[in-house]
Amino acid sequence: MSTSNMADAVQYLTFRLQDETYAVDVANIREILDFTNITKVPRTPDFMRGVFNLRGSVVPVIDLKQRFGMSFTEKTANTCIIVMELHIGGETVVIGSLADAVQEVLELEPDRIEPPPRIGTGIDAAFIRGIGKHSDRFLIILDIDRIFSFDDMSVLRLEDEAGSGKNE
Amino acid sequence: MGMAETHREAFRDEALELLSELESALLELEYRPDEQELIGRTFRAMHTIKGSGGMFGFTEISDFTHEVETVFDLVRSGAVAVDKELIDLTLRSCDLIRAMLEGDGSADAETRRKLTALFRDIARPGEPASLPSEDSAPATEGGSAAGGDVERVYRIRFIPSRDILKTGTDPALLLDELRQLGSCTVIAHPERIPRLDELEPEDCHTFWDVLLTTNRGINAIRDVFIFVEDDGELHIDVLDTHVSLSEGSTGKKLGEILVERGDLSSEDIHKALSFQRRLGELLVEKGMASPAQVESALVEQRHVREVQQRRQSNEAAASIRVSSERLDKLVNLVGELVTVQARLSMTADHRCDPQLTLLAEEVERLTAELRDSTLTLRMMPIGGCFSRFTRLVRDLSGELGKNVELVTCGGETELDKTVLERLNDPLVHIIRNSIDHGIETPDVRLAGGKPAQGTVRLTAEHSGDSVTITIEDDGAGLDGDAIRAKAVDRGLLNPSAASCDKELFSLIFAPGFSTAKTVTGVSGRGVGMDVVKRAIDSLRGSIDISSRRGIGTVITIRLPLTLAIIETLLVKAAGESYVMPLSLVEECIELNRVDAVPSSGNRLVNVRGGIVPYVSLRDSFNLGGAAPDIEQIVITNLSGNRFGIVVDSVVGEHQTVIKTLGRVYRNVEGISGATILGDGDIALILDIPALMGGTGPQ
Amino acid sequence: MAHTLLVVDDSASMRQMVTFTLKDAGYEVIAAAHGKEALAKLDGTRVSMVITDLNMPEMDGIELIRQLRSRPGCRFIPIVMLTTESQEAKKQAGRQAGASGWIVKPFNPDQLVETVRKFVK
Repeated sequence: MSTSNMADAVQYLTFRLQDETYAVDVANIREILDFTNITKVPRTPDFMRGVFNLRGSVVPVIDLKQRFGMSFTEKTANTCIIVMELHIGGETVVIGSLADAVQEVLELEPDRIEPPPRIGTGIDAAFIRGIGKHSDRFLIILDIDRIFSFDDMSVLRLEDEAGSGKNE
Repeated sequence: MGMAETHREAFRDEALELLSELESALLELEYRPDEQELIGRTFRAMHTIKGSGGMFGFTEISDFTHEVETVFDLVRSGAVAVDKELIDLTLRSCDLIRAMLEGDGSADAETRRKLTALFRDIARPGEPASLPSEDSAPATEGGSAAGGDVERVYRIRFIPSRDILKTGTDPALLLDELRQLGSCTVIAHPERIPRLDELEPEDCHTFWDVLLTTNRGINAIRDVFIFVEDDGELHIDVLDTHVSLSEGSTGKKLGEILVERGDLSSEDIHKALSFQRRLGELLVEKGMASPAQVESALVEQRHVREVQQRRQSNEAAASIRVSSERLDKLVNLVGELVTVQARLSMTADHRCDPQLTLLAEEVERLTAELRDSTLTLRMMPIGGCFSRFTRLVRDLSGELGKNVELVTCGGETELDKTVLERLNDPLVHIIRNSIDHGIETPDVRLAGGKPAQGTVRLTAEHSGDSVTITIEDDGAGLDGDAIRAKAVDRGLLNPSAASCDKELFSLIFAPGFSTAKTVTGVSGRGVGMDVVKRAIDSLRGSIDISSRRGIGTVITIRLPLTLAIIETLLVKAAGESYVMPLSLVEECIELNRVDAVPSSGNRLVNVRGGIVPYVSLRDSFNLGGAAPDIEQIVITNLSGNRFGIVVDSVVGEHQTVIKTLGRVYRNVEGISGATILGDGDIALILDIPALMGGTGPQ
Repeated sequence: MAHTLLVVDDSASMRQMVTFTLKDAGYEVIAAAHGKEALAKLDGTRVSMVITDLNMPEMDGIELIRQLRSRPGCRFIPIVMLTTESQEAKKQAGRQAGASGWIVKPFNPDQLVETVRKFVK
């Protein structure tokens, strides 16, 4: 029935990192901001770009491309900070993520999503929740809870791990 | 809360101990039934279990023990003789009380009833064992009882017994207590004070009339006089205050009041009134009433009038409760306001508009005031935290066969709620260490000429914008040589390095110093003092240790009053802004290349003859870029150790609203948080102890 | 300056409870297990108030009160007895010996502090 399909369908925000399109469940998205001043926190890995002032709050910014082993995200007219809200261990964590450009919000039924492939995406399969198909385009749906799981990410351990793209 | 449970635990332990003592006394008593000392011991044990049991909520135990105690009181006075049956019965009672203590409630109801009946039979032979003679319900507290809630005016006449001072009671304190119940007018009657040559200086000759407006009820007033009313005189009347004003009159007439009080009869009043002058003057003049009596009645008149007026203006409640969540929100908002105010001040500076500058200054002043009063809302006394350690000390000393007393001081010292919460674990650890490693066993102590009981003293006091907490024990003290050996063994210290005691002692805070220690089950559970130090560092505090062999050890913790907003020094390096707590900054000077002492690893600078180690932020944080020709060095002082931080420039003082960097950056070394500057940019807060630690022995 | 109070009770748990309640309320406390110990510990120290149990080994509360009242420094200080309901006669004996008041067990910490505040400013 169409109503139940509607209920099951999830909205995704799509955005571009280099040439690939990625998607994140909109339930996790708080807002999208233009690239602004980011203060680097010393002695942290490169992909941890620093912190910025989000209306009085200090919010960390992650360079997803670098996290995935791609290049440093330069500031362009289209560069955005996607502010996401995660729930980790009972607390809400707000985190910003750099994207080369934000595209659109679209709806995907679960049957349009396939499990993550073992190879061929260029990024660690552990970070991928699935591959969505939308009007002949493929979207890489990210598992942001995994990407931002902080036990994985605590600074000290990351210094060994950063850039190595090591599998878990 | 926790304290009550602690006391209950203590009682349970004590009662179990008493029971086993009691049993051995009983067994002895069986052979020497006339020995008063044994009877006394039995009685006292029962008495203690009963009294303390009631105190700590073991009502059933208390009630039951009362029965046994009653019988042993009779044994003591010789009215009842000890026989085998009584011993058996009492031993069974011990078992029962033990079962009740251990919470085995359901099974023993029947036994309890039987034993109770048997004891009552001994105490009052022939009488049917029926209802208990005393009310088992705990006494209700005064104030909530009859007559509460409605505000009334009471007229109280208190004529203390002449001996009142000799029983250690100060009537003035009783009057003070009345004052706390409500609005209160006190009139002293000096008329019974004899002439000086007849005056007995240790007697009390004065009596008092008191007019009290309160909603606490008559029982609350009686409670004030509870210890003295039997010996003295106490009259309490309720005054009717509701009629008069509504009828437009000015309250009761003086004559009516005097008659009501029994100071005069109504005939006297009529007689006086016929003279047609001010009644009070007349009565005094005619010797019908003393000046004090008239004065007192006039005061009543005024008091009642005031009450009526006040009731009409209907004052609002004096205090309210607020959830800590709402308080936190307020603190956050004030934080935001401080940030915006900084921006306003900055804008005003740029505009050179005197009106705007004036406004900005006004806002700055108000914000500072608002900030200070808001932060005090979060302050809580440290006593609550302290009292939790009593049990800890008790348990630990028991476990280790030591005799340790915990003495606390300065429990009223207030600290930010968050700081208090995060202080608990470090303190537990330190106290554990003191008892486990510091305080010696009683025999060792006695042999060393110390009292068998060791003391751990916990003190809190304010000092400026921080609070100092000391944990002091009179134990064995630290062994500098042992620490040196261990530190060398762990690679924390160069074997050839000469270190003073202070340096050696501070090594116990070094990571890895205590982790490999043998696990005693008390301390040394794999966490060492480095964890304590880190916790204190994270509270922006400092920790110090001093110790004397054989005398004891003192650990001093200094903590900021609050974690929310601090005064800082704003500096710049490679275009980035940083702040550091102003309380740690000693001075700022130009880094003169000549003064920089070249050395292999650490960098040192000569500050007026003193050698101070320093780091350059640019290097330390890999900031890149070229240093300016003239760099600044900020000299900080961390519990006596000076340490320099080289920056490009020093901007000035800054009101810093502390923001946490959150989970993502929780492990960053050298940065303890962030703050938002007036222009909206972010400045990172330097973690001076961590930066300083980076220059020490690695 | 905090007031120093003398607390005398042979029950360790009572002593602990009373001591810590009072310390928590900001008083200094000298604690003793019975009258003799109390007198010994008191020695030259000036206390603002005495809180004593009645039934104790060595020297009971009544005797302690009597002895205290005969000491020059203790003639006018408040002395409060800790009693149980059943000790009406004892209470009277205590009054006669010079006690200022009494607290009936069981009591809670607030009641204790309240009573102390009654006597000590």
